[in-house]
Amino acid sequence: MNPSVVLSDILVRRGVHAILQIDQLTLAAGSFTGLIGPNGAGKTTFLKLCCGLIRPNRGTVFFDNQRISDSPFWRIPHYRKSIGYIPQQAEYNAHLPFTLREVTAMGRRSLKPLFSRLNRTDYERTDFWLEEMGLYERRNQTFRSLSGGQQQKALIARAMAGEPRLLLLDEPGANLDPSWKIQLREILDRLYCTYSITVLLISHELDLIGDSCERMILLNQGRIAAEGPRREVLQSPFALQWFGQRPATEGKG
Amino acid sequence: MDAYFIPIVLTGGFTGIAIGLLGVFIVGMRMPFIGSCISHAAMVGAVYASLWNLNPTAGALLLSAGTSAAAAFLPPSRKSLDANTGQAAGLAFMMGLVFLAVGLEQGSRNEMLSLLWGNVLFADWKTAGLTGALMVLLVGFTALFNQELKSILFSHSLAAATGPYTKTIYFFFLLLCGVILAVTLKAVGGLLIFSLLVCPAAAAYQICRGYRAVVLTSMLFGLLSTTLGFWISYAVNLPTGACTVLVSAFLFAASSFFSFYRNRE
Repeated sequence: MNPSVVLSDILVRRGVHAILQIDQLTLAAGSFTGLIGPNGAGKTTFLKLCCGLIRPNRGTVFFDNQRISDSPFWRIPHYRKSIGYIPQQAEYNAHLPFTLREVTAMGRRSLKPLFSRLNRTDYERTDFWLEEMGLYERRNQTFRSLSGGQQQKALIARAMAGEPRLLLLDEPGANLDPSWKIQLREILDRLYCTYSITVLLISHELDLIGDSCERMILLNQGRIAAEGPRREVLQSPFALQWFGQRPATEGKG
Repeated sequence: MDAYFIPIVLTGGFTGIAIGLLGVFIVGMRMPFIGSCISHAAMVGAVYASLWNLNPTAGALLLSAGTSAAAAFLPPSRKSLDANTGQAAGLAFMMGLVFLAVGLEQGSRNEMLSLLWGNVLFADWKTAGLTGALMVLLVGFTALFNQELKSILFSHSLAAATGPYTKTIYFFFLLLCGVILAVTLKAVGGLLIFSLLVCPAAAAYQICRGYRAVVLTSMLFGLLSTTLGFWISYAVNLPTGACTVLVSAFLFAASSFFSFYRNRE
């Protein structure tokens, strides 16, 4: 399989502390990878590195064989067009009175050249993704009036409207009740199987990581504690120690 | 109306529309202090230029543009402090510098004080033309980068992660913000700009649905604040700046009231 994202000899520091250290890691194109680990393990830093939001203090990040970690800023926009990103709740302004259709249509922006406006096709694709997420009837409601689970669905619609090749999700199940987590897991599995995109899902809850996730990375204190097929990672010494402190599930909700 | 008042009303109207529009982004991004910090930087530039017998507008432009650029290159994620706390500290620093300059002034302090409180009654046709041109420039900029600015408003990091040129557009937006606040300083005054930046936009956010409605309503409320404020001050012979602020605060209060009752139903 072709590599989608390759991280090589990575070091990210905050002050004098190393918050992420990775010797070599590859996310294969078309794969579904779950990134798990306790709070403060470096999961979000890992994800921001993959989409070029932060640059490493040392090392190189490749996306589709192009170096992105030290690209000049005028070359960066090209690879960002291929990324769909769903951030943590604290990273977006849910209080603004944007309609659901407006939020979803924002995803089309990355496909458009500078100075151009969204056209009918863009709004058709927007409506298509709202329909896919079961939110079309609510398209004129404000984003802030939706429940947490509906907001997550809307953000997935927004990301997918941009036709990404790499979908990055940062704790999408945070603050959702179990039934919404199951719905979200089913949506992600369906998107992955239908559209053959590369998915990197960050979660510290296994409930959200569905059957499509064939590979897992377990981070602890900025380092990879275990990596490989899902079952092997879940049986690794650190995983057993970590799960020993909380109820372990095997992703079946 | 006396012809003398036409450039005054136009300057007030253009200023209200431009600052109402700026407020949509300043309030939407939850960083009200950044607007105030930039306007006070403009005030520092103007009062020190005035103290050293230089052109106050040039001084205001220089410092406000510098502050805008610094703010653009220090996005919230790069700061160790909460963004608003950092900007509030910057605002306090700027105010300290302003009052220091007022204290250092040996002669008449009237010009410096007019920069603090502003006085639209001194606006001439040149000021009206310049303010109008800047308003058109801002409206054009926000229309041209409508999608980008909307995305930045919704989530700065999401816009940066998935969209091109976010940082560049944000930089030019803040730069334009600095220039507009510097130029409108004489009309509105550094201390009163804050209320014009916050109240019309905050009122619009409470009663509108959709980005376009928020933008248009905030511009309308900005226009109403300055023109009604001027009319009231003219009719009952009160300070124009204070009337402008009171009208904008009233609009905010009325919108909050309306929003509260609408949500209850």
